[in-house]
Amino acid sequence: MKRIIFYIILTLFLFNNNIYAQSDELVNVCALDIGNATYLKDFKVKLQQSSVKPAPSTKFSVLLNKGTIYQLNVCDAAGYEGKAIMKLYDHSKLLGSNQKSDGSLMKAFGFQCQKTGVYNISISFKNGKQGAAVTILSYMNVK
Amino acid sequence: MFRKLFYLIIISLVIVSCNRTNDSEENIGEDIEIPDSIFDDKPLMISEEAMGDIIENISSPVEMAALLKQTGVPFSKKYLCDVKRIDQLNTNFKRALNLGILGSDLGYLNMYDKTGSVMNSMSSIKTLADELKIGQFFDFETIKRLAVNHENLDSLMYISVSSFNNMDTYLRETNRSDISSLIVVGTWIEGMYFATQVAKSVPNGKIVERIGEQKLILNDILLILKNYQSDKHFYDLVKDVEQIKESYKDVKITYTVGEPESKEINGMLVIVTNDESHVEISNEQLVNITNIIEKVRNKLINL
Repeated sequence: MKRIIFYIILTLFLFNNNIYAQSDELVNVCALDIGNATYLKDFKVKLQQSSVKPAPSTKFSVLLNKGTIYQLNVCDAAGYEGKAIMKLYDHSKLLGSNQKSDGSLMKAFGFQCQKTGVYNISISFKNGKQGAAVTILSYMNVK
Repeated sequence: MFRKLFYLIIISLVIVSCNRTNDSEENIGEDIEIPDSIFDDKPLMISEEAMGDIIENISSPVEMAALLKQTGVPFSKKYLCDVKRIDQLNTNFKRALNLGILGSDLGYLNMYDKTGSVMNSMSSIKTLADELKIGQFFDFETIKRLAVNHENLDSLMYISVSSFNNMDTYLRETNRSDISSLIVVGTWIEGMYFATQVAKSVPNGKIVERIGEQKLILNDILLILKNYQSDKHFYDLVKDVEQIKESYKDVKITYTVGEPESKEINGMLVIVTNDESHVEISNEQLVNITNIIEKVRNKLINL
């Protein structure tokens, strides 16, 4: 019995540490994908599988400045089926997404900001699958 | 038997959840000593979640520094905070504000690749962060290596910025949003100090416009600070920020609507909305804002 309890505690401890270590590592890995852009912020998402339509999403708000070209990269965590769909909104107006009209997903897209203000980034997983992902906000260095 | 097992599982879950942000051997359970009577049991006016959103809405110091560099303004050491006084900061209120100020200085130094000065700044940041018990978020050895060897400056910038982001997230997750808000306000004030000082000597339309746009953020800053204004130091800071807000009273921001389009930049699909914001700010207003920012910033670094 003592052995069972020990394993329960150990499993919970390792599982918990692993989740957070993994998400930080994913940020580091994803930051390598931003190329010439300069890192500003990251947003971590983890969602359970859901049959609800539309698929559940997590929203983040962020201030974007006029005259800056921003880049949004997304990286899916290994071990999950879900593929992240990120959308950028100005209030309720959809500005862009990494999902193309044919349903395929891009790893990144850019946004040339002409209006300083608070924008929203929404992240969900395709077909409501369980998933974990990191989105990185950076600004593009354009010559 | 099952009851004992149940209790053990519950205890394990509690231990595990407490361990969630423990990234180092620092004794996180030990709370920071805040002598400033900040932590009373009064409810927050806004939730921690809303506070997090507001804090995210205050733009990164790197963006202000990037704008200064893009406009061709040369680096100047005279804008930086003097780090000699750091050891004299004897309350967490002063430490947190100055940590934010130094964070902004660090962004400015990194932007201009001043790696030698980065280490001086980092050393002071380490001192303050350690005193606030959040030093575990800075990988000083890596930062030192990158700075000393002048290698991979993008990584240096990434590590510096992400360390501040992680620290901020940790503070908010552990209900220390008061410290987080002070760091954010310090960062913002110093960024504004850079911009207004530069605009004073090199009038540039983009910089002046960015200064004017900060009107949008002032209400948010006041909202987070007012949460804690039962504390005298916070109350005084609210009054300072209200003065800054007053100087923005006649600055006008208008918007025009445009049709969205997309184009390719650096091989990437880029969306352009063409909705545009416009700032109307007179020279007199700019001078007034510059003077008040300078006064408040100098007060904060001499607390």
